Amino acid sequence: MSFAWKAAGISYLKYTQICARAVRNALKEEQRLIAQRRDEQGLKFAKWESGKQGELKPIDSAMGNVSV
Amino acid sequence: MFAIRPVVANVTTRSVGCQHRNYATLKEIQLRLKSVRSIAKITKSMKMIASTKMTRAQKTMEIARTFGATQTALFTNADTKPTEEGTTLIITVSSDRGLCGGIHSSVSKASRKHVQEKPNSQVVVLGDKAKAQLSRTIRNNIRLSFNQIGKATPTYTEACAIADTILNEKIEFDQAIIIYNYFKSVISYEAETIPVFSESTFSKSGNFDAYEVEDDVLENLHEFALANSIYWGLAEGHASEMASKRSAMENATKNAGDMIDKLTLTYNRGRQAVITSELIDIITGASAI
Repeated sequence: MSFAWKAAGISYLKYTQICARAVRNALKEEQRLIAQRRDEQGLKFAKWESGKQGELKPIDSAMGNVSV
Repeated sequence: MFAIRPVVANVTTRSVGCQHRNYATLKEIQLRLKSVRSIAKITKSMKMIASTKMTRAQKTMEIARTFGATQTALFTNADTKPTEEGTTLIITVSSDRGLCGGIHSSVSKASRKHVQEKPNSQVVVLGDKAKAQLSRTIRNNIRLSFNQIGKATPTYTEACAIADTILNEKIEFDQAIIIYNYFKSVISYEAETIPVFSESTFSKSGNFDAYEVEDDVLENLHEFALANSIYWGLAEGHASEMASKRSAMENATKNAGDMIDKLTLTYNRGRQAVITSELIDIITGASAI
């Protein structure tokens, strides 16, 4: 079994997120607004290098940049 | 913010002094009373907010628990065992907000213990509070830290984003453990762990043959397992945090109430003392004529 999206360099989690977004977008107006709120995240992360915190960066919602 | 200083004792000893001072201290007590009253109001409303959030968080947690239990069942049935020499990734789940009792120190303590047992393990911290605590002791083990966590009920999108970032950073591990606060009941929580195994560890497990899986799927399973466990940990942690915040705020409100009573008593006593001494002055003055 091979996956087309894996060959395109999309991880399983990204793939599920994209699918989820597609389903959310397809919902009716009222449900969609509620569901789309679950799609947002404002997380930030920082890399640590030998005990030093690096720069704080927002998590790139690369999943959001992939057009559905 | 809600530190309670024993100012009452000071005030009473001073109020024995001269008349002039007495007036000022009465005013001091009055100011203090006012501030304690407003603090009580704040803590009370914070408690109300925490209770509503807790109900919502509990619902989310119950759903997340079902997902988590299914995954644990897979690993149990497959008889997956962590390898002794393998590297461990510790994911500490806490949040950014304080004022909720020992929630953050409970997970930090558990993580510290794990690091002591396996000094080469790597740590990923979710939430600012645990980061502050862990960066003091095991700063060199930290690889990633996340914040802006726990503002609202955790979503699966958040968990996915976290898991994806961890995987993108190419942190090598044979076993990941997620340390979170297990929601025992509204009044108690406990630091617990969820194990997540990498593909290689899982494929070495005892009953692996019972499942017919192809190699490609294993990687997906690993990614899903990580995100799913993080979601479970976040949901449980959030529910525990809200429950503990509720009881912390309830206690604070109760203590503020006690303090208000005490201060009112001292204030009234001081007021009466002033009146009495003024009366004595008048009477002695009158009888001297």
